[in-house]
Amino acid sequence: MKLILIVVVAGILCSCTSDKKPDDQAFLESLDTTKTAGAGVDEEVINSILDQIPSPIEISMLLKESGSKYNAGLLNPTDNLPKYNSNFNKALNLGIYGTDLGYTNIFGNNQDGIKYISSIKSLADELNIGQFFDVKTIGRLATNSKNLDSLLLITTMNFNHINHYLQSQSRDNLSVLLLTGGWLEAMQITCQTAAKNPQNKQLQETIGEQKIILEQIMLLFSFYKEDSHMVSLMEDLNQLKVAFDKININYTYKESTMEIVNGVAVIKDNSTTTIDITQENIEEIKNITNSIRTKIIN
Amino acid sequence: MSEEILKAITQLFAIISKQDGGVSDNERGFAINFFQQELEKSTVDEYLKLYDEISGYIGQTDKHEDDRSNKPTSVKDSIRTLAICKKINKTLTQKQKVVVLIKILELVSSDKQFTNQRMEIVNTVSTVFNIIQDEYKLIESFVVSEQISSLNFSDILIANEGNQAATPLQKHMHAHVDGHFVFLQVSSVGMYFVKYLGKDSNNLNGFTMKPSRVYLFSQGSIIKTPDGGALYYSDLVADFNAEIRTIKLSFVAKIDEFIFPNGAIGIRDVKIAEGPGKLIGIMGASGAGKTTLLNILAGLEKPGKGTIKINGFDIHADKSKVEGVIGYVAQDDLLIEELTVYQNLYYNAKLCFAQLKEAEIHERVMKALEDLGLDHRKDLKVGSILDKQISGGQRKRLNIALELIREPAILFLDEPTSGLSSRDSENVIDLLKELSLKGKLIFVVIHQPSSDIYKMFDKMILMDTGGYPTYYGNPVAAVTYFKKATNQVDSGRGQCEVCGNVNPEQIFNIIEARVVDEYGQPTNKRKVTPMQWNEMFKSNFKPALIEKTHEEPPQSLHLPSRLSQAIIFTKRNFLAKLSNKQYLLINLLEAPTLAILLAFIIKYKSAPSGKEYLFRYNENLPAFMLMAIIVALFMGLTVSAEEIIRDRKILKRESFLNLSWSSYLISKLAILFLLSAIQTFTFIIIGNWILEIQGMTLAFWFVLFTTSCFANVLGLNISSAFNSAVTVYILIPLLLIPQMILSGLLFDFDKLNELLSTKGKVPLMADLMTSRWAYEAIAVYQFKNNEYQKTYYDYERNEAEADFRSAYLADELKKKNQFLIDTYDSKEDSILQIQKINKQILFTELKNESFKAGISEVDMNSVFIQNGYTPKIGAQLNQYLDDYKKHYQKEYNANSDLIEKKMAFYQSQGFDIQQEKNSYFNESLSDLVRNVSAKERIMEYQGMLIQHIDPVFQSPNPKHFADYRTAFFFPEKNLFGLTVSTYTFNLVVIWCMTTIFFIALYFEVLRRIVGIFGQFSLSLKK
Repeated sequence: MKLILIVVVAGILCSCTSDKKPDDQAFLESLDTTKTAGAGVDEEVINSILDQIPSPIEISMLLKESGSKYNAGLLNPTDNLPKYNSNFNKALNLGIYGTDLGYTNIFGNNQDGIKYISSIKSLADELNIGQFFDVKTIGRLATNSKNLDSLLLITTMNFNHINHYLQSQSRDNLSVLLLTGGWLEAMQITCQTAAKNPQNKQLQETIGEQKIILEQIMLLFSFYKEDSHMVSLMEDLNQLKVAFDKININYTYKESTMEIVNGVAVIKDNSTTTIDITQENIEEIKNITNSIRTKIIN
Repeated sequence: MSEEILKAITQLFAIISKQDGGVSDNERGFAINFFQQELEKSTVDEYLKLYDEISGYIGQTDKHEDDRSNKPTSVKDSIRTLAICKKINKTLTQKQKVVVLIKILELVSSDKQFTNQRMEIVNTVSTVFNIIQDEYKLIESFVVSEQISSLNFSDILIANEGNQAATPLQKHMHAHVDGHFVFLQVSSVGMYFVKYLGKDSNNLNGFTMKPSRVYLFSQGSIIKTPDGGALYYSDLVADFNAEIRTIKLSFVAKIDEFIFPNGAIGIRDVKIAEGPGKLIGIMGASGAGKTTLLNILAGLEKPGKGTIKINGFDIHADKSKVEGVIGYVAQDDLLIEELTVYQNLYYNAKLCFAQLKEAEIHERVMKALEDLGLDHRKDLKVGSILDKQISGGQRKRLNIALELIREPAILFLDEPTSGLSSRDSENVIDLLKELSLKGKLIFVVIHQPSSDIYKMFDKMILMDTGGYPTYYGNPVAAVTYFKKATNQVDSGRGQCEVCGNVNPEQIFNIIEARVVDEYGQPTNKRKVTPMQWNEMFKSNFKPALIEKTHEEPPQSLHLPSRLSQAIIFTKRNFLAKLSNKQYLLINLLEAPTLAILLAFIIKYKSAPSGKEYLFRYNENLPAFMLMAIIVALFMGLTVSAEEIIRDRKILKRESFLNLSWSSYLISKLAILFLLSAIQTFTFIIIGNWILEIQGMTLAFWFVLFTTSCFANVLGLNISSAFNSAVTVYILIPLLLIPQMILSGLLFDFDKLNELLSTKGKVPLMADLMTSRWAYEAIAVYQFKNNEYQKTYYDYERNEAEADFRSAYLADELKKKNQFLIDTYDSKEDSILQIQKINKQILFTELKNESFKAGISEVDMNSVFIQNGYTPKIGAQLNQYLDDYKKHYQKEYNANSDLIEKKMAFYQSQGFDIQQEKNSYFNESLSDLVRNVSAKERIMEYQGMLIQHIDPVFQSPNPKHFADYRTAFFFPEKNLFGLTVSTYTFNLVVIWCMTTIFFIALYFEVLRRIVGIFGQFSLSLKK
């Protein structure tokens, strides 16, 4: 009797909703035509490249040292969180938020930092890497503003752990996306800042140096030719590469010498690197970076 | 009698006596006598003058012989007679008219001049008075006749020394008298008259009876003959009444002792034997055990020692034989206050007479209402004591009517006149008297009756403090008995010589008289103790012998089938609820109001931007679900908690009908479930609408409805177990708060006292809580079956499972295995112990593993259970575990890829994934059922590895056939070998609990338990 009732109720529920979506069958049929993806990239290759990519926090430090002021408008607002539904988007934006968190951290804007922590936690949970964020601890630390520094530091540190974890779990594509996201955001912030401070040579040089990083990233992306999302992102990055190609990095090699400093032998690198970068280059890179980023965060 | 009527009668007297030769002295003498009886001395002359004027009495001396010649009645006189009679008709009751007629006949017979004209006028009078011709003949013969042999009527009873009746129709009664007593019954008005033919001076109610004079033999009258014999009204009536003679009814009670639960003796040695057609009063000081005695006689309480037998059937042992024979009217009003007078009676009749058609029942109800003078009040609501719609007397009468309508053979009434005006009291007792005359046996506990009421009883049972019977017999004779017993003067007279009043108070004054001290102050000591009165009683009274019958007692009951009873109960209940506007309004508005209040308060701009409400980010959803369940429980409990208590009185009355308890309960459930369905539906419709919970209405509703139904049955249980509504309402928090504590939301099941909790499983104690089952059902259903999640659930489940294995389980197992390899040679007990546990864990985890590449030929049992473990196997296992990890990494990636693809697929079909997720998926609920905040994602507990994360993606792993236990928020459960969705399983569990509680309710288990505790605490006091 009760079971019948339950069946009836369930039946009503089904009948109410079933006309909305095509059923699983349609999806499974569509699967047959697409090839199943497989990374098939050697872990160690990826790891070695990943290690060369600088942490976003390093770029943020540079910004602070350059004397520019905190500007929340440069960051990806946490309001965008509901928009990220695919793992691809989640991973990229997790990287972006990571950089943003670092930026708020360096500039000591704790209030915004908390918002980014909660968004990061939420995205991490969805990517099954939530274990790196202990909400209880975060919550406890967050109640006292004195703890905020350490809180932000912990969170930033976690990104390194996540990267390693993802690699160990054969989810290196996520790791690549995470880092790409972080790098793109850092690029964006740096470019914006540099555009505003044309006299700051160091910033310009830093941007120029990214040419090498981008090449590494492009190399990483080349391993994921079967992932349509990554392929399309790579195409975007290609445009950026074109812009970077206009920059010349002159590397003059000189024999290294050995000197004795305070009785200790030290190898001295005598090679020099000069970067030819113009304001126009910066502007172009800034615009392309911005358009890629806008695509990702929206 | 008004002046006008007296004048009219005077005129009638005069006109009659004037006929055929005018007034004789005898006639005039009779008229004077009549005036003297009715009037003060000063006014007698005035009326006599009138009489003389009309009758043309001119004094003995002036009388002419010519006047006595036969003159026809003048037209003028005839018209005058008619006019007077019509005037009388308008004012006098039929009873009074009969008295007038008898007076007229007596007037005529006073001179024995029964001329045609006179008789014609008398006849005319009787016709105008609407007295049936046959009855007139009877009355005329009774008044006129001097010979008993000429009275051949069935309404005549002769009492004399003889042994049989003089004529065939006449009734006869043996009595020690000189001459004859002739009794007349005027059945149309239910009056009795007596006249004495003989020479003795007999005594009617203490007054000397003149021979050949007609006397009204009113209720409670006693005729005493000079040699001490007595004729009681009640005996006479019984002899007259043919109906009573045919009723076979004997009521024999022998109560040796009745002991109260607290050990005091309530009743001692009461013996009662009665037949049909008696109205018996029970009186006594307060605390004498009147009500106790009545309850024992009615079978409500079992006598400790003794038996109550009706027609030889013990009312406790042969319950079925005496079913419906007994009626009981308690002191309190046992009415359904919300129903009208008519409805109260109607449903009662419906429950008693299954065999009657609707029209017949209506007729019966209307008759009962008319009999009790309630017909013009039939559509009024009974109302409560505070909100009275009908008067106290009417309530009382309605109460009695409820019993009368089914005409039980024996009726017990507990103080039916308490709180009534003397007029109402008299009406009630009048009614009972009438019933007794129809052959019912009626016992009435009565307190301070008026003289008239007191005299109406056929017998009186007097009880004294401590449950001692002190008198059992004729009520008026009781006064003389006690007067005599204390040697008072005028002990022979029971009633007032002038007015005929009896003062029952006198009796109690005598019984309870106190010893006076030397200063004339009454002391606490009684002159005669209850024991002494009882001794006296025992020596003076022997219980009468009653014609013993062994036929089944007359039954008037035809109970409807259980189903029909349930339907009648439901209808009655439903009408009662409908008519209680306040109750209805509050119950129907409660749910929507709470829903609005709750949902409105917890709806906030939840989107991360803080600009709008997004269902997805509403962090209050888990709490809302719990509140909805608590509201369902609360409403269910409050609505049912008073149900049975309120009906308790009515149930007590209806217990005499042997109505089906299950029908009653089912009718309660029908109404309560309906109400719960409406309440929970309005609640969830509004709550879900405000909070924008989509596509869940029916599923949520059914859980809440189920919960509320459970609460209904629980409420009925406590309602049946406790005696006051207050107790019940105090109990509600006691029932609700554990439901909140162990609902699973407020307190994590893993963080409860070790005594209660089992790691990785819902504690058994929580399994007793409906809230936990309901909450789990709702939460899991909302998570799993929402429009967004259901598309990806299966993939996410595989993904989560693979993630756990690759990220946590593989490493953990590898650690265990490594330990086994490293300590292979160790002999230390502590290490061996750990080894054993590790082996056990590896065994359980690998036993049912589907991925077995590389270890497929390894026999798990021999390796882990029977010491077959070697470092070589260990190394093999290590390699396997690496593969295992890789395998599940792949599995994970494959599934997460599928999810991405599916999203892309739907997006390509034109669905907005983000929109869908925002409106169907809730982050907080997801965090809750996936337990993402768990610090320890994997845990070792009693030789098992327990997964703490993602319960909603796990599968049950039953240890045995009936193992239903899982951690909280599992999506499926094991139901005796079947894997059933949590939603279904949990609802089945709640319905099972509801059924169990219903069975408990049916057998009143809780009431019995409470009863045992009650006795326990009483015995402690002693």
